Amino acid sequence: MKATLPTGTRIRERRLAAGLRQSAVAQAAGISASYLNLIEHNRRPIGGALLNRLADVLEVDQAVLSEEHDSGLAEALRAIGAARGLSEDRLAETLDLVRRTPDWARLIADQAEALEAQARTIEALSDRLTHDPSLADAMHELLSAVSVVRSTASILAQTPEIDSNWLGRFHKNLDADSRRLADGAEAVVSYLDQAAEEGDAQLLPSEVVARFLDRHRHAFPALEADGAAAIPDLVAELTDPRARLLATEMLQADAADAARLPRDVVAAAEAPEQLARASGGDLALVLRRLGVVDPGRGLVICDAAGALIRRKPAAGFPLPIMGAGCPLWPLFGALSQPGRAVVAPLETPDGAGWLAHAIAEPVGVARFDRPPSLRATMLITRATATDQAQPIGPGCRVCPRTDCEARREPSVITGAVMGLDMAGGSEDTAP
Amino acid sequence: MRNSDASDFATSQEASAHGAAPSVLLIEDEPNIATAIAFLLQRDGWRVSTHCDGATALDAVLRHVPDVVVLDVMLPGKSGFDVLAAIRGSDRPDLPVLMLTAKGQTKDRERAEALGVSTFMTKPFSNQELLTRVRALVPSH
Repeated sequence: MKATLPTGTRIRERRLAAGLRQSAVAQAAGISASYLNLIEHNRRPIGGALLNRLADVLEVDQAVLSEEHDSGLAEALRAIGAARGLSEDRLAETLDLVRRTPDWARLIADQAEALEAQARTIEALSDRLTHDPSLADAMHELLSAVSVVRSTASILAQTPEIDSNWLGRFHKNLDADSRRLADGAEAVVSYLDQAAEEGDAQLLPSEVVARFLDRHRHAFPALEADGAAAIPDLVAELTDPRARLLATEMLQADAADAARLPRDVVAAAEAPEQLARASGGDLALVLRRLGVVDPGRGLVICDAAGALIRRKPAAGFPLPIMGAGCPLWPLFGALSQPGRAVVAPLETPDGAGWLAHAIAEPVGVARFDRPPSLRATMLITRATATDQAQPIGPGCRVCPRTDCEARREPSVITGAVMGLDMAGGSEDTAP
Repeated sequence: MRNSDASDFATSQEASAHGAAPSVLLIEDEPNIATAIAFLLQRDGWRVSTHCDGATALDAVLRHVPDVVVLDVMLPGKSGFDVLAAIRGSDRPDLPVLMLTAKGQTKDRERAEALGVSTFMTKPFSNQELLTRVRALVPSH
């Protein structure tokens, strides 16, 4: 099989695909029909200005007509396949793939390129965290100060009769290193803040929008006053067009919510139950509006897969920045009984009490031939701690609880792994 | 930080001959960590000499030959690795060396082990574990 399709054949295929007569194309390109016929049958060489004119007439890119076009893409696919261990037989099919389904072939190549770019980004970020001298210095300062504080404090605690000179010296050292510890912690936080600000270019659009919402604390007075007309100005600060589009869709939903349940009405209510009638019985709307309007309340929305698509933390109720939430949140329980509101007292690991209102509802237009897509909404409100409260956390990765059977991954805080032992299990009750 | 006088203790051979306490040469540039470690070791019956930089410490090690060296990795001048390599290349290549480094520095541990470190600890450390490790390096203590 010839490695590439001849240029003349490409021109003929494109002309026929466009439904153009040979004479019409020849006239538009300034050559005779007989000469174009020779070109199309690969009896005359073609290139340069004439190839450009024919490409213009056929309304295609000149590169599409050149023999190098397919071979370049085929070579790229061949390299991708080889890197992933495809056999020689499969690799020999790449040119055929390009010819038969050029759009899919291009998509595969583009996806592979995007994956490589992301891998490079991850490598660069990892490299930066590992080798950045500023971070290394800051961490060294922290660890040194922690070492002094730990060692000195142990000496003082375990040496009841200590010489007064040593005692004075240790007190002085503790004072100096506790200050150093505070400064070091501040330096690390400052570094991470700076890295986060510089890191927007590496983020997914959903992550950029999450940060955008966090910056505004999910409240947009202009949206309340002017509705959707305010959105273009609000999203202008987002440079990524995909993030801007996503934020626009989200704010359009917020504007529609605001039109249905005005801010004044929401602000006057002390509990979700008081807004049920004003919302026309749309309890998810009540939860969303209270979550957005009241800065003291938290709001979490997830899809049927449990992916968190909106997360507004309440002070004292931390939410994971990335990844999933706590499997014990009523938010996920609500998904199993759509349309039925769940009201549950909760307790965070610090012993604080909360009240959660959650409900799942179908989204989109209902159809007879498939089940509805679901979305669950949970409102989080500070409450008095009770004995009946469900112990929950912010999400396994950052949860300090060590005795939770619902845990799905170790905690980066405590290293707790209970609940991950699929073979044994535990006699403790969750969590 | 001022180095203590290394002549405070004689060679381990001389000390042993006179029934004196075994000696530790502590090389640590963080003065407050050095203070805490020196206190712990002295209270445990060791004679301690401290140094805050690799170059002078190496000289003291080679001249006075302590029973144990407690060595920080990050030092001004010669690094802890330089000091360890010099000890292993000296006429006392079997001198016990406990090395200290910041937690999580896996590469430090691998490098130290390749150079022949006797034992390795990460900061922050437990006082009791430090004493246990040092005692284990001198079984007669």
